[in-house]
Amino acid sequence: MNILAAVGVDNPPLDWHALAPELVLVGLLAVLLLVDAFGGERSRWAMPSLTGIGLLAALIPVATLAYDGVVRSMFDGAYVVDNYALLFKALFLIAGYVVVLLSTNYIAEGDYWEGEYYQLLVASLLGMTVMASARDLISVFLALELLSIPAYMLAAWRKRDLGSEEAGMKYYLMGVFASAILLYGMSLLYGMTGSTLLVDIAGAIEGTEVPALVALAVVLVVVGFAFKVSAVPFHTWAPDTYQGAPTPVTAFLAVGSKAAGFVALMTVVLIAFPTQPRIFEPLIWALAAVTMIVGNLIALRQTNLVRMLAYSGVAQAGYILAPLAVAGVSGASAAMAVEAVSTYLVIYAAMNLGAFAVVIAVARKTGSAEIDSYGGLFSYSPVLAVCMSVFLFSLAGIPPLAGWYGKLTIFLALIEPGTLAGYILAVIVGLASVIALFYYARVAKVMFVDPAPDGDTTPIRVPMSLAAALTITVAVTLVVGVLPQVLARVTGAETFLSIGG
Amino acid sequence: METTAVEYVVFALCAVIVLAGAFGVIWFRNPVQAALSLVATLFGVAVLFLNMNAQFLAAVQVIVYTGAIVVLILFVIMLLGVDVEEDLEEEPLVGQRVIALVIAAGVAGLVVAGVTLGGADLVSGARSVTGSIVDDVSNIEQIGRLLFTEYVFALEITAVLLTIAVIAAVVMSRRPSEVEPLPAENASMEPPEPMEPEAEEVFD
Amino acid sequence: MLLTDISPLLSATTAGESYSDFVRSYLTVAIFGLLALGMVALLLGVGSIIRPNRPQPGKYLTYESGVDPVGEAWPQTQVRYYIFALLFVIFDVEAVFIFPWATRLDSETALVDSSGNVFEILGPYGSYGLVKMLLFIAVLALGLVYAWRKKVLRWM
Repeated sequence: MNILAAVGVDNPPLDWHALAPELVLVGLLAVLLLVDAFGGERSRWAMPSLTGIGLLAALIPVATLAYDGVVRSMFDGAYVVDNYALLFKALFLIAGYVVVLLSTNYIAEGDYWEGEYYQLLVASLLGMTVMASARDLISVFLALELLSIPAYMLAAWRKRDLGSEEAGMKYYLMGVFASAILLYGMSLLYGMTGSTLLVDIAGAIEGTEVPALVALAVVLVVVGFAFKVSAVPFHTWAPDTYQGAPTPVTAFLAVGSKAAGFVALMTVVLIAFPTQPRIFEPLIWALAAVTMIVGNLIALRQTNLVRMLAYSGVAQAGYILAPLAVAGVSGASAAMAVEAVSTYLVIYAAMNLGAFAVVIAVARKTGSAEIDSYGGLFSYSPVLAVCMSVFLFSLAGIPPLAGWYGKLTIFLALIEPGTLAGYILAVIVGLASVIALFYYARVAKVMFVDPAPDGDTTPIRVPMSLAAALTITVAVTLVVGVLPQVLARVTGAETFLSIGG
Repeated sequence: METTAVEYVVFALCAVIVLAGAFGVIWFRNPVQAALSLVATLFGVAVLFLNMNAQFLAAVQVIVYTGAIVVLILFVIMLLGVDVEEDLEEEPLVGQRVIALVIAAGVAGLVVAGVTLGGADLVSGARSVTGSIVDDVSNIEQIGRLLFTEYVFALEITAVLLTIAVIAAVVMSRRPSEVEPLPAENASMEPPEPMEPEAEEVFD
Repeated sequence: MLLTDISPLLSATTAGESYSDFVRSYLTVAIFGLLALGMVALLLGVGSIIRPNRPQPGKYLTYESGVDPVGEAWPQTQVRYYIFALLFVIFDVEAVFIFPWATRLDSETALVDSSGNVFEILGPYGSYGLVKMLLFIAVLALGLVYAWRKKVLRWM
């Protein structure tokens, strides 16, 4: 970063079009806040609709920017809007919209505060959309805090429930701890390079003779993000938080927060550290392998569906990490890795949100998330049971559901560089997937074969908004599974990596 | 700019104060004493900033950290009650302390090794953004310049972050009695009562 | 080595340019600080020597006359005071960001390189900076409006 040159620029050119999605979200936040502050109780009903409309409105500039197709770069390259950023902005906004659909009845009927709930949700989404474009340390860190701090509060939303308080507390403590580690790594990077721009950092640490300090910084940064994406051994907060938090919030954390963590990890590793594969590759390799194995093995023993989904989410984080472990071999392997991670994140969001939607729907009747309570679901609510099976088998990677295509891109990315490490990791992904099939299939068996535990077989009435959420997620899971080229068109990595040098 | 002997002396003094304060934070049993010990640490850091010619940052350190943040910490301590003491004999996980000690020593060793092995060669020597980049211009102006050019977007995002902090704190601290009728069931999964399916209509 | 370097610094006014600004600016501060410490030690020391010492239990009460205090001096406080502390921190941080902006509302600064040539003139922030700062303050004001409307600002 040439500071003297930057000082000379009086007013940095602002590309309003490129900033439009974020501006819409800030505007939405302000509207929600003012309506809540001045509308009082009368405005409660408007909150979810306003939020939903606002999120869809933020998608419009994302679409026009994608149609435009120009790579826009602002603030010396600290903020970049390219296809990579737009894909993730769209993912976060749509996932946020589905979470609003999931929350509508849950939050309204629980008589929680609605205004604040949606304000915090929108703020967290704003952090995520900023993260998708952030290309310097300060933006990355601010985005991470902006998406995390509301999430800590959301996890503790059921204030009188000890489990929810525990969820918020654990998530907060672990999140802050991770931020501190990350910040130490970042400060070392800045100290060494004198720049916060990821591209400049890559240039400055290229060919360093004594990599001890560089190694330390890279390790700290990767470990900091590993907490965020709940990779083993930094996953311990995830099951308790997922179980204790309100279920729509759990869905939001499991999908939005985790995807944002991966976006940040991928951006920082591939743009700032591409010249240091000797440091980050073994680290991420080990994290991915351990995460897949441990996550799946513990998930086998769970009796609570949300907890099982939490551990399955941990295992899925391992799959998503895997391509990054071989991303440093060559430019082609980096491109494949970006594509595999992007693809898998989109698919993962759809199937996981869907699974949580079914959990919320079933809990409206049974009041429980124990796997046993799903007995006989097929006999009284066949549609829900089929939807759940679609999501579970997609998570397991069974064709023709979307999950198999995600796994395929990961395998291709792992095999592409032709290294032994890549092949071994591919084998581990395969083995882990086989283990995972057991616990996903067990839930399906309970739903289809076992009788209802209490003999109550009145059908579950699914509210409109939940039905809409289920429709969206099932549609994505099926369409991407059958026609994967739809997704493949939007996950290209070219502009991202070319900007990243 | 050459480092003078006085700067070394000031650094050494401040380092001692900073470390002693940090040690005090974990040493004192009374949380108020621990918080006041933190003041020493933060103040020492402020002097270290001065030592590096970052006057504005030093002022911020005193105003925000030694002033506001410590006040906040003291509020929280008073909120929780000072007379409550943790039972330090109890170990929730067997062998927790030993493992923690080993890991802490390992991490500390790693950091020290990293800094000492590679540090001297890798420090770029570039002056920090917060110090004087250009002599004869006060660093408050230079920070302002950066805030309103390269980091202007980050500045606005910071405003949103602070606002969200207010909202979260208000939500957290309002009394539960004003918040929600207590859900009858114990289960952590579901809203209290099953409702009519078409909730959108019910609201009006 | 350190000692030999320091001794001339104490007479920094006569020394040349080889000593940093830091020393010259803050030597006064350090001297004042030491003087203050010495003064406190002196006054307290002299006091402890010459004052009479007759301990009585009554002297150790909180109030020597009037009502005896009830309960502990360290009661648990209400959670709502936390909001005031937090709002204080937030507007403290806001002030920190306003300072650098206020330095150059309408003045220009010339950047001079080592040989004395002006190579850059920094203009005032002007309307661009004003809009940015107003936006910043407006977003923060939203938080204040929210706290006010939610009635957490009332002192009870």
